[in-house]
Parts: sequence; structure tokens; C-alpha cells
Amino acid sequence: MKIKILVVTIFYLIGSLNLSYAANSEKVDQISKNLRCLICQGQSVYDSQSDFALSMKILIQNKIDEGQNDEQIYDFLKSKYGEWIVYDPEINKNTVLLWVLPLILFVFGGILILRKVSIK
Amino acid sequence: MLNQIGNYSLYIALVSSILIIIQSPILLNRNNINVSGRIFSLISIQSLMIIISFIALIITFIISDFSNETVYNNSHTSKPLFYKISGTWGNHEGSLLLWLLVLSIFLLIFTITSKNLSNKYRILTLFFQEIIILGFLLFILFTSNPFMSLFPIPNEGTGLNPILQDPALAIHPPILYLGYVGTSIIFSSSLAALISGSVNKTWAKHIKNWVLVSWIFLSIGILLGSIWAYYELGWGGFWFWDPVENVSLMPWFCLTALFHTILILEKREMFHSWVVILSITTFSLSMSGTFLVRSGILNSIHTFANDPSRGVFILCFLFILITLSIFIYFFYQNKIKNNFTKTYIVSKETAVLVNNLFMMFFLSVVLIGTIYPIFLEVVNNDKISVGPPFYHKLIVPFLIPFLIFMAIGPNFNWIKDKINKINLQQLLFFILSIIISFIFLKRVGISYLFSLPLFIASIFLFLITIKDFSVKKTNLSQKISHFGFSLFILSVLVNGVLAKEYSSNMKVGDERQFLNKTIKFESLKVNESKNYQSLEANFKISDKNNSINLKPEVRVYDQPQTITSEADIKSTLYSDNFLVFNILKNDGFYNVRYQIKPFMIWIWISIILISFGGILSIVKKNG
Repeated sequence: MKIKILVVTIFYLIGSLNLSYAANSEKVDQISKNLRCLICQGQSVYDSQSDFALSMKILIQNKIDEGQNDEQIYDFLKSKYGEWIVYDPEINKNTVLLWVLPLILFVFGGILILRKVSIK
Repeated sequence: MLNQIGNYSLYIALVSSILIIIQSPILLNRNNINVSGRIFSLISIQSLMIIISFIALIITFIISDFSNETVYNNSHTSKPLFYKISGTWGNHEGSLLLWLLVLSIFLLIFTITSKNLSNKYRILTLFFQEIIILGFLLFILFTSNPFMSLFPIPNEGTGLNPILQDPALAIHPPILYLGYVGTSIIFSSSLAALISGSVNKTWAKHIKNWVLVSWIFLSIGILLGSIWAYYELGWGGFWFWDPVENVSLMPWFCLTALFHTILILEKREMFHSWVVILSITTFSLSMSGTFLVRSGILNSIHTFANDPSRGVFILCFLFILITLSIFIYFFYQNKIKNNFTKTYIVSKETAVLVNNLFMMFFLSVVLIGTIYPIFLEVVNNDKISVGPPFYHKLIVPFLIPFLIFMAIGPNFNWIKDKINKINLQQLLFFILSIIISFIFLKRVGISYLFSLPLFIASIFLFLITIKDFSVKKTNLSQKISHFGFSLFILSVLVNGVLAKEYSSNMKVGDERQFLNKTIKFESLKVNESKNYQSLEANFKISDKNNSINLKPEVRVYDQPQTITSEADIKSTLYSDNFLVFNILKNDGFYNVRYQIKPFMIWIWISIILISFGGILSIVKKNG
């Protein structure tokens, strides 16, 4: 009885948790690790137990069942929720500096060192 | 009453700070006087006052004096004593007071331990340190005062966020702050050394201890945070490349580069400017870290404080400090002795430079990855997320040469070494690493692009660092730290490759098969604790030879009413068994997530080893 009461309290606190978890395939896990849970604070869809994350996992599972590949699923999600949802930003004119700046710094530093030291 | 004591002590500290700042330029021109006299007593008074105010705050928390707003917002009478105390720094105001406390105590220690150094250098260090202290005092008194009074006095507080009620997280902030704040001394003293023209051997020797101490505390602080994330946040990972985690990692890279370089300054009188630049950068990163976390600018799980006015203050303060240091650097740069001793490509000096290059690269990846999304959003309102895949893609390809280099580099001689010393023995180890990696990956069945070279490099480093224990040339503390690092990389890799996970919905009494194990949901019961109720499940995991019981909980805390999920973890030397469960609406079903995490404990042990190397190095030098 005590257990029942506590379980009910927990439901009441969590709010509307009306989706059941499905045992997800490895593919869903792999994709959902790269997705931000939009309503959580700094958690991936994979890690989150929120309504949003759960329905997202079901959505991905459905897409996989429809026969879509990873890229198609990511593209679909990006078109629906924006770049914000993926943890792995694609390279475009907005993000080119993000990807390239560290590499430029490395090359620059390397040149600096090579100029300082003498080979012989 | 306690509020007044705390407040007045802080104001007295503020006055002492201003007095010291005014007096130091005057004393600077009198070379014959020793710092001891008046300035020393002012610093002592200041530290004493800050200690008193901190103790006052702790007592207010212990006796749950809700006439104090901070206590009201962050504590509750039903909380265990330990968390009442840790609640003191588990909030914005209190944690800043802790920063200030460490700042002033470190300054006191610096003043006492630097007696045999030049007067000018000491006074200048005091001067810069006092500017930082003044900034923090103003910030605390005018935007984040922990001693605000409430009237009428509430009967009960609102409580501390339950996920912070945890032993590892209770001591995580103080330890991390000791690391952060230690870098302030490095900053102040490097500027002082720059102005007084004493960036040299003696200074390097003196400041090296501070670098090491900060580095050790920072390492252990990061470790505690990771352990907490591992068992409390319930996803079974220990590092998520979350902005708040990144913020502690950035000064760590910088400090690591710094204490390698400072050895060269000490032994060979080289790289003076670079050491100064690194010192300034390290502290700027620590301060920026505080700014990023405290301003609430980051969208992150760890951000518990949100107040833009505070953010603006820290941003201005940060801007002033950085501009000031850049200005001082360029103004006094010519005072630095620039004896360009020739550096040969195969030498310890070059090895350290290459170490620095990699450290700066890793730093820039983390820095740019953390702040780029903020800038992009400000500039054109685009929101992007930068998460684990980004960091892995940029860091892993560079980690491979870095590991190989780390294996070879430390054995180079000073000044000039022969290239053909990369000898038969090392070649043999390398071939051995290739064979081991190949067999291992074949058996596990992994074929990612970088996994083979990554395994080869880390096994190579691992073997070499073990072999190096028999070599006399390098010192023991270095060997331990380097071995610890190789063990760390290897454990993380093996852990990542061999981790197994199972998730399913189960009822009490259900049994599931996973790999060669049986997971049985045996029972469920309710526990009552002082400030929470919990639903405790009992799972039996058994295979042919033995069985273990895991008892994860779902807790309902009263104040504030929150649910947390407590994983149960059984660690052995080989692997961790990790189990969390959650409640489902489908009557009687629970979602169960079971993970096997190989070599998890070695990740923690290796970080302790890395830090232990640092501790040993300090003890040996002073013993």
C-alpha cells in the first residue's frame, strides 16, 4: 500500500508521464545520444526521461522502421527543430570558424616552434 | 546578529583592501623597508575579518537562522547537519564568499612564505592580489551579499536542491576553488615579476609550488565533479563536455602547459615571456569560468544561479583585469631578459614546447566549442549545440600523435640529443602495441576509423611509462603522473569500447536475460529518511559463478519537493555494475537500465595517480 502511495506521489510530481518506454534498438540509442533534449537542461535525448525525449525516441524508432537512414533522420529533425537539436554541428558558413579556428591555431603554433628551434 | 557580524567584517576587509592598495605604491619607492610592518598587519586583519564572516555564515546555516535570506533560500531545518554546512557554499552568495576566503588566505600564505624575495616584487604581488580581492568584495557586498536580512522572519527555509545533497558534491566546490584561486597568485606574481624585472630562475622556483598546488586541487576538483556526475545524474557517463565541465578543464590545460614550461625557465632560463603569458591566461580562464557559470549565460544542467546584473559586473571586472594585464605585459615586455639560447629540435626544451602546442590546441578546441554558440547567438540569433561528437572529432586525431610524443619526449636530454636515440627498444614496444591493439580490437569487433591508431598510441604510451620506472633519468613524481595519464587514457578507451547496456520495462518478479547474465527484479520497498522518502528496488544480477544485489532508489525529497533517481553501483577492479530504475505509468512496470562499465574504477585511480605525482613533487622539494 505504502508503495502505491509513493508511486502515485511521484507521478503527481513528474507531471504527465503517459508514454511507456519501449526497449530501444541500439540504433535509436546511437542517434539519440547526438540529440539535445530541448526541454531539459544540458542533457541528451538518450539520457533524458522527459516526455519530449521519450516521444523523440519513439519517433526515431518509427523512422528507422520506415527504412530511413541516419542522415535522413537527422535532416528531418533539423528541419523540424533547427540546428540546435544536434550536438554535432554541420560545417556551413556559420560554423566554419568553429571547426577551423583550432586547426589554424595549431598550425600557427607549430610554425612558431619550428622557427624557434634549429634543425641541426 | 550574525548578519551584522558578517556584514561589518566584510566592510572592514573592504577598508583594509583599499588601504593596502593606496599604501603599496608609497612603500614601493622605499627600498629599505620590509613588507612585514603595516601592510602585513593589514593583510592579517583582512583575512581574519573574512574568516569571521565565513564562520558567521556557516553558523547561520547550522542554526538555520532564517532571518538570513541566503539561509532561507537554500536550507531547511530537516536537513542533515553535514548538508547544512555544505549548503553554505552550495549557492551563489556563499560560494563567492568562499572564493574570497581562499583569495585572502592564499595571499596571507604568500606573504609569509615569500620573505626572502625582493621587496618590490612582494609589494607588487600584494597590490595586484588586493585589486582582485577588492573586486570580489565589491561584487559580494553590492550584488551578492550573503548577509541580507529578512523580516518578518520565516519559520522554515525552502531547502537545498536535493541533487546537491551528496558527499562528493559537498566538497567539490571548495577543492575546485582552491585550484581556481591558486591561479590568482600566479597571475599577480607574474605581473609583479614582470614589472620588477625579476622573471628569472628564482621566481620560477618560487612560483612553481603555487602552480603545482593549483594544478593538484583543480585535478582533484574535476575528479570529484566527474564522480558525482557518474553516480548522481543517472546516465552512467562521467564527462559530457557540458560547458560547466569544460570551464574547469580549460585552466587545467593551461596549468599543465605552465608547469612544464616553468621547469625550463628554472633549469635553463628560457621562455620567459611565454611563462608570463601562460600565467595571465590561466587566471583569466579561471575568472571567465566563474563568470560563465555564475552569470547564467550557459544553458547547462549545472547552472543554478541566474542573474544578468551580476554577470555584467563580473564581465566588466574581467575586462578590466585582462586589459590591465595585457597593457602591463606590453609596457614591461622589454624588461624580460631575452637570451635566445639556441634550441635544438631533439631536446627536452623542444619536447616541452610540443607539449605546450598540444595543450594549447586542446584548450582552444574546448574554449571555442564552449563560447562559439554564445557568440553565434548574439551575432545572428542562430542557436547551435556543440556537444560530445564535436570534441571527439577534433581531439581524437590529435590525441594520437600527442600520446606517441608523450612516450618519447620525456627521455630527451637537455639542449641537444641524438635523433637516433629513438632506439630499438622503443621500436620493439611500438610493434608490440600494434600487435596487442590489433588482436584486442579484432576480438571485440570494433572497426572505427581512429580506434586502431588510438589504441596503438595509448598502449605504446602505457608500456613506455611502465618501462620508464626502471630508468634513472627522470624523477619519480613525473613517472607516476605520466603513468597515471597513460592509465587514464587506456581506461577511458577500454571503458568506452567494452561498455554494455541493457534497458527494459520490468515488473516485480520479472526476469530478463542479458548477455550471460540474469537480471531479476526481486522486490520493492519504501524507506523513510529524515528529509526524504524513497522507493528502493532490489535487483539480483547473476551469472554462472556468482550473483550480486543492486538496490537503486527513487527518492522524493520534501524540501523542496523533488525527485531524484539514485543509481546503485557495485565496483570491482574489472568493472562496475550500474543500475537505475524509473517509474512508468503502465501499472506496476518500471523502466530498468543496467550497465556494465569495465575499468571504471581505474579512471578514478588514474586521476588520483596523476595528482599524486604532483603532491610527491611538492613534498620532495620541501622535505
